[in-house]
Amino acid sequence: MIEHRASHSPALSFRDVSSGYRGREVLHGVSFTVAEGEFVSLIGPNGCGKSTLLKTAAALIRPVSGSVSLFGRPAERLKAADRASLVGVVPQKIESPMAFRVGELVMNGRISSIGLFGRPGAADEDIVERAMIYTDVLALRDRYFMELSGGEQQRVALAMVLAQEPRIIMLDESIAHLDINHRQEVLQILLNINREQRITVMLVSHDLTLSAQLSDRLLLLDNGTLAADGTPQEVLRPELLSRIYNCELQVRTDPWSGELQVSGDLVTGRRRKALDRRIHVVAGGGSGIELYRRLLIEGYEVTTGVLNKLDSDAEAARALHLDAVLEQPFSAIGSACYREASVMAGAADMVVVTDVPFGSGNLVNLSLASEALSAGKPVFLAEGIGSRDYTEGNAAGRKTDELLADGAVTWSSIHELLVHLQKSFQSR
Amino acid sequence: METTRICADNRFTLRSPERGRLKLFLFLLAVPLLCALSLLLGPSGIGIPDMSQPAGSSIMALRFGRMLMGLVVGAALSASGMVFQALLRNPLAEPYVLGVSGGAGLGATVSILAGSSLALPLNLPVTAFVSAVITLMVVYGIASQGAGGSPSVYSLILSGVIVSSICSSMIMFLVSTASVEGLHNVIWWMLGNLQPVSGQQQVFSSALVLLGITGIWLLSTRLNALTLGREMAHYQGINAGAVIVVGLLWATLLAATAVSMAGMIGFVGLIVPHVMRAMFGPDHRRLVPLASLGGGTFLVICDALARTVLAPVEIPVGVVTAVAGGPFFLVILQRRMKHAWN
Repeated sequence: MIEHRASHSPALSFRDVSSGYRGREVLHGVSFTVAEGEFVSLIGPNGCGKSTLLKTAAALIRPVSGSVSLFGRPAERLKAADRASLVGVVPQKIESPMAFRVGELVMNGRISSIGLFGRPGAADEDIVERAMIYTDVLALRDRYFMELSGGEQQRVALAMVLAQEPRIIMLDESIAHLDINHRQEVLQILLNINREQRITVMLVSHDLTLSAQLSDRLLLLDNGTLAADGTPQEVLRPELLSRIYNCELQVRTDPWSGELQVSGDLVTGRRRKALDRRIHVVAGGGSGIELYRRLLIEGYEVTTGVLNKLDSDAEAARALHLDAVLEQPFSAIGSACYREASVMAGAADMVVVTDVPFGSGNLVNLSLASEALSAGKPVFLAEGIGSRDYTEGNAAGRKTDELLADGAVTWSSIHELLVHLQKSFQSR
Repeated sequence: METTRICADNRFTLRSPERGRLKLFLFLLAVPLLCALSLLLGPSGIGIPDMSQPAGSSIMALRFGRMLMGLVVGAALSASGMVFQALLRNPLAEPYVLGVSGGAGLGATVSILAGSSLALPLNLPVTAFVSAVITLMVVYGIASQGAGGSPSVYSLILSGVIVSSICSSMIMFLVSTASVEGLHNVIWWMLGNLQPVSGQQQVFSSALVLLGITGIWLLSTRLNALTLGREMAHYQGINAGAVIVVGLLWATLLAATAVSMAGMIGFVGLIVPHVMRAMFGPDHRRLVPLASLGGGTFLVICDALARTVLAPVEIPVGVVTAVAGGPFFLVILQRRMKHAWN
């Protein structure tokens, strides 16, 4: 599958493009080039900027800085009709509030080439018919578009874009709604037009395994930056994916086909449920909410404290039914609460400290960590506690250094922490 | 195997080309017949008046003038409503939705109450027209604020409704402080009537309406694409922002011209496009001329009824459009709505 059919003339190139919506930049300095005839998949977690990238490529959004070019011409200066003859986009979903029939809708693909004064001629009818045969929607020609099923609508949308005869087709998660036989069919169509007509294809997809099978190349987006760009073997590395998707992922090579398969880790998750592993979390100011959630999903028992009442972490702990020690709102942690928390942390297997800002009021929470260390329990400190230190004389920073010297481990992402936890439970 | 599949796929197929063509033929036949019928109706009696008498020929000229007014005004309202419904992707849109009526009404009220309309016959229509266009620009300007120059349809509709309400409040205030005679004039203007305006204005207005409908017809494939939304239209090589602005301008021009000729006639611009869409499908290449013809003919018939039913008393045509057209169109829409909107 991985053969470079592509010539070297660029179809789409981004040069240091930053782009986004009013007041919110989504893409930050993205650069890449897709050569004509390539089949590329754009992957990445939800909200990483895949759709924004497509919209920028199709000149729906103007880049804040940097430049986009389509077949060597600057995208934003292309005339609308010229642009449509170069790039076609199949969106996630098409809404047609008026009762257009499938045939009328597919004819929309010819609009820009017909022009303002022309009428569709026999050649246009032929192109439309061919596109409809290709996507197996000819039999639906006289049906109302909106009464079709989601998969049929997607095929009609593809027919409409094929009728546009663009040189690069971009699909925004358009195959997600298709059932398996039509998904195979649509993908086969895409592969065919890619191979026979040298139409460049850019597929936005959530299905990593499928993307790997189809594509010459994968572009992996993470938080608006390009995290990886290369062949599926180069991009689909478990440690890279696990970091970017922030969860444990495995990449296997299928023994028969040699294809890469990406999968999560639900099986071990089901086994882990029975385990009785308790973790005490020192958090505050909202730094613990996501951590609580992830620890609970992974099957750990979670306790937390000392928190101040009304703190957002205290609210989250209450909502998630966590055992928590709560001090009065906006007051320093008193000795009674500390003793209670100390007992609670003593009952846990490990202690985790988030990157909560420390001040004189909650500094004492760090002592929970040193108690745990001296009791021989693993302690995990979030990176950057020293930089959020509001105590006098950098007391929290110094305390963290002591803890690290005594064997505490630092973590920077929740996924990394979960790996640490897993390892140290296994080693016990 | 293959045949069963095709049958299954075609089970909702309703169109047979012959039936469609027959419907079109019947409609095109009905238009001149109904217009001719309107020439036979009037407060002076039903039938062709004695043309040898000067009174008879002037009655005929009067009826003919009103028929032309009805055609032009009805076509303008219907085409304008159709464009608003397509651009705003909303079945509730009508010619007056973006404040055209409010603005025109306010302008006309000021003009009538200031008495200037009596001194200069062209003044009232001109004032109504100018204030309608100004109102649209204000509405568009408000809706564009914070939208980066391209307002969403929701902000357009909302600001249109708000500006309309402000205008109506000001009209009510002006009316409440007006003399009895002024009040009467304002109310009559608002009810709408097809009394022929001055010849000069008639020619000018008809030219504007013809221009507007032609302009819209040229946009018809673009309107088709825009019903799929701005984003999809952009991907298909259409300059969506420009089409929306130009479309709104044409539609406002038509509505404002109609208002300046005949006052506020409701219902035509909202319902006729729906009915024509339900009968002949939403493809604007066909819909633009059909909706214009349909709106014009409908208004001609309504006006003929208005001056005949309670003769010699004349019912305001705006009353007849809803009362007579409502039940008729309701039946059509109830049966065929799914052929127009989803």
